[in-house]
Amino acid sequence: MTARTTTHRARPRRLALPSASQVITGAAIAVLVALAFMAIFADWIVPYDPLRQNLIQSLQPPSAQHWLGTDDLGRDVLSRLIYGCRIAVLAAAEATGLAVLLGVPLGLFVGYRGGWWDWCVMRFVEAIVSIPGIMVAIVIIAILGAGLHKAMIALGILYSTSFLRLARGVVLAEREEVYVRSARVIGASDGRILLRHIFPNIAPPLIVQITLTVGAVLLAEAGLSFIGLGVQPPDASWGTMLNTAASYMDLDWFLAIPPGIAIIVTVLSVNLLGDVIRDSIGRGIAIRTEPSTPSVRFAPTARETGQSDQAIAPGPDDVLRIDGLQVVISQRGGSEVPVVTDLSLAIRKGETLGLVGESGCGKTITGLAITGLIGAGGRITHGAIRLDGADLTALGQKQMVSVRGNEVAMVFQDPITSLNPAFTVGDQIAEVLQAKKGLSRKDAWARTIELIDRVGIPRPASRANAYPHELSGGMAQRIAIARALSCNPKLLIADEPTTALDVTVQQEILDLFRDLQDEFGMAILFVTHDLAVAADICDRIAVMYAGEIVETATVDALFARPRHPYTAGLLNATPHGSDHTPPLPTIKGSVPRPGTWPAGCRFANRCEFVEERCLSRVPLAGKDTRLVRCVRADELRLETGR
Amino acid sequence: MSDQPLLDIRELQVTYWGRSGLSMRRQPFHAVKGATLTLKAGETLGLVGESGSGKSSIANAVLGLVPASAGSIRFDGVDLSAMKTHYPGEVRKQIQAVFQDPFSSLNPSMTVEDIVSEPLRVHTGMNRAERRARAAELLEMVSLSAEHLSRHPHQFSGGQRQRIAIASALALEPKLVVLDEPVSALDVSTQNQIINLLYERRDALGIAYLLIAHDLALVHHISNRIAVMYLGHIVEEGPSDRVYSAPAHPYTKALLDAVPLLDPEKQRLRRAARKRAPPNETPRDVSSGCPYKNRCRWAMARCHSEAPPMFAVEGGGAASCFLLTDPGNTANNDKLKESATQ
Repeated sequence: MTARTTTHRARPRRLALPSASQVITGAAIAVLVALAFMAIFADWIVPYDPLRQNLIQSLQPPSAQHWLGTDDLGRDVLSRLIYGCRIAVLAAAEATGLAVLLGVPLGLFVGYRGGWWDWCVMRFVEAIVSIPGIMVAIVIIAILGAGLHKAMIALGILYSTSFLRLARGVVLAEREEVYVRSARVIGASDGRILLRHIFPNIAPPLIVQITLTVGAVLLAEAGLSFIGLGVQPPDASWGTMLNTAASYMDLDWFLAIPPGIAIIVTVLSVNLLGDVIRDSIGRGIAIRTEPSTPSVRFAPTARETGQSDQAIAPGPDDVLRIDGLQVVISQRGGSEVPVVTDLSLAIRKGETLGLVGESGCGKTITGLAITGLIGAGGRITHGAIRLDGADLTALGQKQMVSVRGNEVAMVFQDPITSLNPAFTVGDQIAEVLQAKKGLSRKDAWARTIELIDRVGIPRPASRANAYPHELSGGMAQRIAIARALSCNPKLLIADEPTTALDVTVQQEILDLFRDLQDEFGMAILFVTHDLAVAADICDRIAVMYAGEIVETATVDALFARPRHPYTAGLLNATPHGSDHTPPLPTIKGSVPRPGTWPAGCRFANRCEFVEERCLSRVPLAGKDTRLVRCVRADELRLETGR
Repeated sequence: MSDQPLLDIRELQVTYWGRSGLSMRRQPFHAVKGATLTLKAGETLGLVGESGSGKSSIANAVLGLVPASAGSIRFDGVDLSAMKTHYPGEVRKQIQAVFQDPFSSLNPSMTVEDIVSEPLRVHTGMNRAERRARAAELLEMVSLSAEHLSRHPHQFSGGQRQRIAIASALALEPKLVVLDEPVSALDVSTQNQIINLLYERRDALGIAYLLIAHDLALVHHISNRIAVMYLGHIVEEGPSDRVYSAPAHPYTKALLDAVPLLDPEKQRLRRAARKRAPPNETPRDVSSGCPYKNRCRWAMARCHSEAPPMFAVEGGGAASCFLLTDPGNTANNDKLKESATQ
């Protein structure tokens, strides 16, 4: 089992200026706290009674006595504004609370129950939503009568529809999750599944919706009070203050400014806060905890320790040569973590090199680095990738576009999702031929049929008009291969191309790769986690572990006598690798995440042959194609239980 | 335990109804077309097949997640199929499950303690402290520790999550655990850890497993019996070792042959022997005859007109293939065996 200890290092505190988003968040929170403060303590902090009239001092501009001036009846605008806060908070709480209490339970219920209930409720909701909101509110107020509380009930009913739809939508999605199935198997009742299992997962979108609703309610309250359906004079609210201001626009334009700004700032703050909360509540992987393996967080790279691996001797017909490649990805918080370090390999024309390892070893990112598709957040920091002598890392985006497809092509794991569902498979191949080879539409189509036939699909002419979802996984993967080969690339990168397929289909696809290689002569970089698949298809194999190559060998040599303990462990752990009954051989622990690699040999914490020497960096050493990264490689006699 | 099997599935059919294309009429899709299986207490039955063979539908029918459209499922003498999907608590707590994807089978918003003790909360009158103690005990049983109780699933690796799922499934000490592809989403080095754990728990607690998997080699390690499914039919069933070393049905043999070997030399020989054939297209629905006839190398005229019943196989079990009818026709059987031992 993984050594999961609780040794947490005290992290050095970073002294940095707050970012723009932090400043905005702080400001938004400050505004809302001030608002709440004024609402609660309005009675103590107002300079004047908001209802006290003084007709002699009506419509005064701001002065030392009246900071924001006075209104038409000589009432202090600042005092009225502060009392308006109370109304605003009360109104927002009332309407939003009612909307949540009404909408969420109903949405949960109809979403989970579905069927007739769902149909009836949703048609009703759609009817309400199709009428302008303010109209609905006015109708409800017409029935209930005017006044703040009645107006808020009206708004609560109106906004409950959005909570209902939100809750229903989330339930519909969550209902299909495996954890809900698990809960049903456990025997939890429907009510329990809804409240205990599904409901907590609604929290993040719900919080966002609440903040949006609060903003909308504030605006609606102001609007309704403005047209005289909300707060009734002489009570102070931002809406009634605007109403007054509108009447005296010609005499005192300033009257509209304080309530206007109050509304704008408050609504803006609430919405900003909603955004921040939405971003910070991530489900699952977004909130990775600190790595808890007792290891150095950043293993020094070979380059930094001055122990770079020996360069691979250049061969005359190398199609691809990678020298000292290092790829880093940026993490939350801006730090960068290496995911591939000091990786060197070469593939000859017509050769298949297997890149083997478990998930998180850096195989896929290596493939993406070659095609220049690492994506945002990742970058190559060291090393060269040479395709027929030309360094791809030095090329710009535009040049890479012409390299991809023409010279390097890729086949992905999931054939159905790697094809565009909106176009026929024939169109997708023909498009590549037209764009890259400049063929006419007619020629491209003819060549497409030829290619589809070549990858062993019966009735190619009619199959070219099929959409990806109409094909089985194996057929779709054949199409993906045909598309990859359409421009006769020098290098084909196949990333787990058979992992999603059934075994009988996998065998056919592997045979197809082999046949096509004989015909087209391309080099293949075959990325897989399955050593048995690699044994079938590859000429040479490079085993990767924690971002670096730990062993390379020709396929026969590797399987006959693995020299790295990780390779031997993988061989033993493959299900068809052994015939005995449990306990089956295992490798203790699991692959460490990038950033938590041990400082010395990265396999050291899982290796049963570990020694003192293994705690410092180990270079990849050996002759020709037989390289191994293990200080004890020569003395160990590694057993494979076959 | 008496001779009566713990789980007795007879002529089970599972049918889904769905709309296809623009037509408003619902079309039936027969996922399981008459499956008969038995499982004794404390034993493991491996159910193997490719995607779409109906193996997960059998699991879901046993778990009461989908209703059986025909046939019967009896568990410990109780007829489950008659209850449709509404099992009483007494039955529910005896049948638990571990699902394939450890990333979606654990509720992301619950702590490990909540997840592991949820069955206790539903089915027992334990108080919070008792549940917590039991949850800690269960975690230790799967090689995790009590300190993990307060964490959330996203803080664990795939293998650890699967251990948590197993701890939760074992909480009530059920008689049957349905394992639906329990390791196929895990890394190779972690897979065997989980297999070993399941194996050890079975022997310690006397649980029966219904193990659903696509990998015959893996299933063979921990199953007492293996059943092979193809397009909703069970085409072969028998003792684990016999099915693995001497498959009687051509499909079982094809499955075994297709698994690449870890030996490049043997793999080369096998590849050379493999006939260059057009790719197989699995028909989704076969109305008459043997379901495997379109892909079978030995298909005869008879295979196209009548469906082969189950014939007894030497060494135990049965297979539905006409090659087994004629005792004089051993040449065919030898042909089948020949490359399985390769």
